[in-house]
Formats: sequence, C-alpha cells, structure tokens
Amino acid sequence: MTNVQFQDIIINFGFGTKAEKKKILEQNPDKKVFMDLTCYDPQEFYQSYPQLKGTFSALFCDENRKVETHLKEPNPAFLSKMKDLGYSVIETTIIACGFVFPRTIAQIINEAYFALEEQVASKGDIDRAMKFGVNYPKGPFEWASQREKYVVTLLDELHAKTKDDRYRVASTLRNSLS
Amino acid sequence: MNLQRIVIIGSGTMGSGIAQWFAQQMCYVELVDNSEEQLKKAQASIHQSWDKLVEKEKLTSCKAEQMKKLLEIKSLNQVSKNADLVVEAIIENLDIKKSLFKSLDEYFAPHTILSSNTSSFPIHLMAEAVSDERKKRFLGLHFFNPATIMKLVEVIKGKDSDPALCQELYQWFDGKDKKPALCKDSPGFIVNRVARNFYGEPLRIVEQEDEARMKEVDRILKEVGGFKMGPFELMDLIGIDVNYSVTCSVWEAYDQEPRFAPHKLQKQMVDEKRFGRKSKRGFYKYD
Repeated sequence: MTNVQFQDIIINFGFGTKAEKKKILEQNPDKKVFMDLTCYDPQEFYQSYPQLKGTFSALFCDENRKVETHLKEPNPAFLSKMKDLGYSVIETTIIACGFVFPRTIAQIINEAYFALEEQVASKGDIDRAMKFGVNYPKGPFEWASQREKYVVTLLDELHAKTKDDRYRVASTLRNSLS
Repeated sequence: MNLQRIVIIGSGTMGSGIAQWFAQQMCYVELVDNSEEQLKKAQASIHQSWDKLVEKEKLTSCKAEQMKKLLEIKSLNQVSKNADLVVEAIIENLDIKKSLFKSLDEYFAPHTILSSNTSSFPIHLMAEAVSDERKKRFLGLHFFNPATIMKLVEVIKGKDSDPALCQELYQWFDGKDKKPALCKDSPGFIVNRVARNFYGEPLRIVEQEDEARMKEVDRILKEVGGFKMGPFELMDLIGIDVNYSVTCSVWEAYDQEPRFAPHKLQKQMVDEKRFGRKSKRGFYKYD
C-alpha cells in the first residue's frame, strides 16, 4: 500500500487486508482519508470511520487510468491531486461492495476460469470469443492478468457478505495464486 | 480444407447473414427456406447491402455482381447433394432440428459436413438424428449477429465430431475474415455462458427498478470498463425476454447453479411485457 499525504489529506492506494486498511484509518483520526477499497464494502468502512471522506477503486485500472470513485462530499483538493497523479476520477453515487466495474468484471473472470477448468476452451479462445463475439474491450484472462489476488479477495468478500454461492471462486482461479 | 459449396438452411436474420458472409468469401452459396417469399426477401436484402457497399466504394460493382451470381435461393430438394458444408439456422426447436438433420443426412453426400448455428441446444442431441458415420462430420458453427460484421465463430466439437475436422474448420475460418474459437459442447458454449454475469451482476447491484441507478451502472461500465454499451441498454436492445430466456436455459442446463440464476427484475419485466426497445419499454422508456 502507498499513502499520498498533502495538507490534511491522505490518499491510500493499493491492495491491503481489511485489517491493514482499518489500521490506517485508526492511525489518522484527524485527517481526511480517501481510500482504495476495490475489494471491500465501502459502507462498512464509512459507518465506523467518519474521517473516511471518499473511496475509490484503482486496482482494476488499466492504461486508461479511470477510477470509479465515491465521495461523501465534494473535495476539489482530492480531485486535483488525483489528476496530478494521472488518474481520471469517474464519480458515482452507488456504494456497493466491490463497486460496479470490479464486481462485474470479477464475476466474468471467475466464470471464464470455471469454463477453463471444465475444458470448455483454451484461455486464448475464451478471450478471443468475448472480444469478437460481444465486443468486450479485453478478454477475461487479459483483464485478470496480475489481478487474480484482487478478484479472489473481492469474491470471497462478496461470498462472506451475501452467503450466496454465486460468488464461489473457481478452484483454478484460487490455485493460480499459489 | 477447401470449402466451395455451402448450403445455408433458414433465411432469417442469422441464416441470411451467414449466407452473405460465405458469398463474400467467394463460396458458391445455396440459401434454402420453406418460404419462397422469405427467401426472395432475404436475397433482395443481401443484394441491397452489396449495392450500398458499392455506392460507398467499399466494394467494386464487378465483385458485387460476382457475389450476386454466387448466391442462389432454392428449395431443399433443389440444392447440390455434394455440398462441402451445410449450416442450419432455422427456428430454435430441437424436434424440428432433429427431423431436419435426419433428412439432411440422407440427402447429402458422405463427405458433406453438417453443422448447426444453434445457441441453445447441445450438439450431441442434434447429432442423435444422423448416422454414425455422419456424426464424425457433425458439429456446431455458432455465428454472431450481424454475421457479416461480428468476427467470432464458435466451432463446437460434439461428442463424436472428428477433432481433426474441427481443427481444419478453425484454420479455414482463421484464414478468412473471422476469429474462430474452438469449444466443447457445453451449455451456452463460451459467449452465452461467460457473458451471463455482465447482466446478472449489475442486476444485483441495482437490486430493484431504479432508472437513475441503472443509468449510472451503464455509464460506469462504459466509462471505466470500456464496454461499448452498458448492461441495461444492451438488454433493452437484445430484448429482455430473449436475454431472460437464455439466462434460464443456461441456469437449467447447469442444474440451477447460483452463478447463472436469473434475477427477479428480469422476470418482472417479462411479466409486464417490457421487453426493451422492441416494445418501447424496458429498463428505459423509448417513446
């Protein structure tokens, strides 16, 4: 994880466990904190930490550097710093565990892994099918590359919260972490 | 592999699109339908499409005339018995398809490859209607709409399909203007299975009917994810009834696996006859 500090603001980037994320908030009760919570439920954090002023999802960012962001209140300094850091903030009013894009893409990636373990097709053919059959900008395995840990953490979090087996992680995806 | 003589059965949207694409590859195409009126309509529409390309200077008039000569409309008993490939694109009804394949097996030469463009039925179930020898030359070829534009063809290997034949077809399409994907005969094949959560997850994020929330989900998936359309506008375009039916069919085929479970909002829309753009009301209004 990386913290960018300026004025009375901390922007926390990167992957961390829930405990690690909470520790940062506990250590900074008097700051305004903006935090990457791609794999978790922002609502759970907002309820316990009033210093948390906004949450965003940068772990699935690709070369477009567009970041789904929820702000509790407008904060021009945060927006300006994100711009300086090369991010394009896409604001949303939706507070959902795993946000909108990470949650949707995580489920698509998970299904691609289920199809792979059932030997429906190769990784290359699955990527090709999704790009040329339904115009996805990337194939699920291209999206998953280097992000498997985030996908598994997010799906485990959704499974724990909802108890819905639709979020059960494909074993080939989980095994890809080891 | 050299595919020269192609028979397409069914001249609806998919059948005529597939016929047009094969003719554009300079194959001799025989387009078949029970309805002569429908056949003539399909032929006129294909010709019109080529004429438009000539007008836009994307096609020479000489090439367009050649392609028009390569595309013939016929009734089934008039087509060449020695076709290299038959693509079935008729109504999605298993009994009708099986009955058709039984007669196709008897009609065509032993070397003819029989294929189905089905998106719903397992290839092995349709192959039950043909002889053991033909089963080796029976497979799925799933094109996407519009077939002349969408690059993907799923080459579906049935239980008894000859793996070498599937590989040859894959190579043939790869050498043409297509992006083939080889896949196993399993429900939804690749696309209709992996794409389910592009709809299912956003439905669970909005949970209930809320136009502002749906608009926001569509916007985020386009802006952040780079998708050309958001899930709600896409379901409205495809038809919520069609999308719901595919969801239910994949869900049932996988023994009601929770990952494919339809959402209550889909059923509510279908019950209220809010099918999307075609009924002027879906997740959004189209007045």
